[in-house]
Amino acid sequence: MNRGLLYYFMIPLLLFLCLLQSTAVARLKIAGVKPDLVLLMVIIGTLLYGMRPGILWAFIAGIGLDIFSGGPLGASSLAMMAAAGVAGLGHRPLSRFNPLVPLAAAALGTIVYAVVYLLILGTLALAGWSTLNLPLFETLRDIVLPVTLYNTALMLVLLPFLNRMPESQDL
Amino acid sequence: MRNTERRPRTFSDIGIRVVLLVLAAVLLMALQLSGNLRPVQSLITQLTAPAQLSATGVTTGVSDLFGSLLRIRTLEQDLAALDTRNAQLEGENESLREVEKENEELRSLLNFAQTRPRLELRGAQIVARVIGEESTNFIETILIDLGQVHGIRTGMPVVTDQGLVGRISDVTENTSKVLLLNDPGSSSSALLADSRLNGIVRGSTSGALIMDFIPQGPTFQEGEAVLSSGLGGKFPKGLAIGTVETIDSQPNAVFQTATVKPAVDFGALELVLVITNFEPNESLPDFLAAPPAQATPAAEETPADETPAEETP
Repeated sequence: MNRGLLYYFMIPLLLFLCLLQSTAVARLKIAGVKPDLVLLMVIIGTLLYGMRPGILWAFIAGIGLDIFSGGPLGASSLAMMAAAGVAGLGHRPLSRFNPLVPLAAAALGTIVYAVVYLLILGTLALAGWSTLNLPLFETLRDIVLPVTLYNTALMLVLLPFLNRMPESQDL
Repeated sequence: MRNTERRPRTFSDIGIRVVLLVLAAVLLMALQLSGNLRPVQSLITQLTAPAQLSATGVTTGVSDLFGSLLRIRTLEQDLAALDTRNAQLEGENESLREVEKENEELRSLLNFAQTRPRLELRGAQIVARVIGEESTNFIETILIDLGQVHGIRTGMPVVTDQGLVGRISDVTENTSKVLLLNDPGSSSSALLADSRLNGIVRGSTSGALIMDFIPQGPTFQEGEAVLSSGLGGKFPKGLAIGTVETIDSQPNAVFQTATVKPAVDFGALELVLVITNFEPNESLPDFLAAPPAQATPAAEETPADETPAEETP
C-alpha cells in the first residue's frame, strides 16, 4: 500500500482550504477573480489517488464551500464531483508526470465545475427556487475564462511538488 | 493468513458512490431551499464564524506585515542604523495607526447615522464587521457578524458612509450574508442626481455596475452622481450608489445605458451599517417571502424558533 500522508490529511486540509477560500483567498484576486484552491486540491487528490476517493473529497469540499457561500447548499458538491470525474480520467490511463495531464485536469476541471454550477443555478432559477441566474456567455467570458487561466497557472506552479508525491496503486 | 490482495475496483463501485453522493447533495439542496436546514446551518455558521473571523484577522495581519516589511526594507536603505527602540516605536505606531484608521471610519459612520436620523442603523452596537467573503467566483456576498438575535432580517439594506453596499440575503442566529450590489443578481432603482433621470442599477459578471433603462432623449453627463431612488421599495431613497463613468446611448435604442463607478470599494469592506427600520417591499415567490418585519425589531422580541423564511439571494 502506498498512499502517502496527503491521503489521510485530505479532508482536514480541504476544510481548512474552504475557510481560506472565504477569507484570505479574496486578497489573491487578479482581474476580479480569485483562484479555486479547494477545487485545485480536489483535482490534485484525484490525480494522485483516483476517482473513487476523489469523488468523496469533492462532495465534502463542496459542502464546505457552500457553507461559506451565498449559493445553494450541495451545488458546489455536484459541480466539484463532476470536476473530480474529469480529473479522475487522468489518474491511470495517462501518466500524471506528463505536465500536460495536471494542467489539462486543472483547466478542464475548472470549466466543468463552472458549467455544472451555472447549470444548477439556472435550473433553480427556472424553477423559481432561486433568484441567482447568471448570464451564461458573460459569465464564461468574465469569470470562467480568467479563473481557468488562474487555476491552470497555479497548477503549473504546483507541478514540481505534485511530481514528488507518491502515486497510489491500490485505489 | 490475511488475504492482502484487493479486488480490483470496477466502474460500478464508483458508480454507486457517485449516485449516493449526488442523491445526498440533491437532498441537502432540497432541505436548504425548503428552509428545513436552517437550524443546522445556523449552528454550523456559529461554529465557523469565530474561525472565519480569526482567519480574516490573520490575513489582515499577514498583509500588514508584508506591507511593513516592504516599508522596513526601504527604510533600511535610507537609515542603516535603525535600532530596536525605533522598531518598537514603529510597531506601536503601526497599531496606533490601525486604531486611528478604525476610529476615523467609525466617526464617519457615526456622522452618516447622525445626518440620516430617519434610518435606524444597527451594528455591533452600531457597526457590523465583515468576517468573511464569498467562497466561489460566481456570487458576490460578504458575511457579517450580526444576525437574527441582533434584529437583522432578510432584505435589510446595508450601507457604509460612502454609500450603498447591498442587502441582507440570508440570516442565521449570529451572522448574516449580504448580497453585494455588484452581484449580477442584484439591482436597485436609481436616480441621476442632476438630470433627475430614473433607471435601474444592476451588477454584472465583470463586477461593474450598469445603469440601465435610462429614458432615451434627455442627456446627462459623465461624473453625475447616481443615487437610490426608493422606487420598488428595495432600498431607501437617496443613498449614494456611485458616479456615471461612461454613457452608452444608441440613437435607435429605446433606453440609454451607463457604467457606474461604485461609491463603495466592494473589495475592501471592513465595517458596514445595517438599516433595520426600513421595510423592503417587493414581490417574492410565496415560499421566499419573509413574514412582515417589525420596524425596529429588538433582540428580546425575536424568539429563536421564529425563523423568517429565507430569501435565496
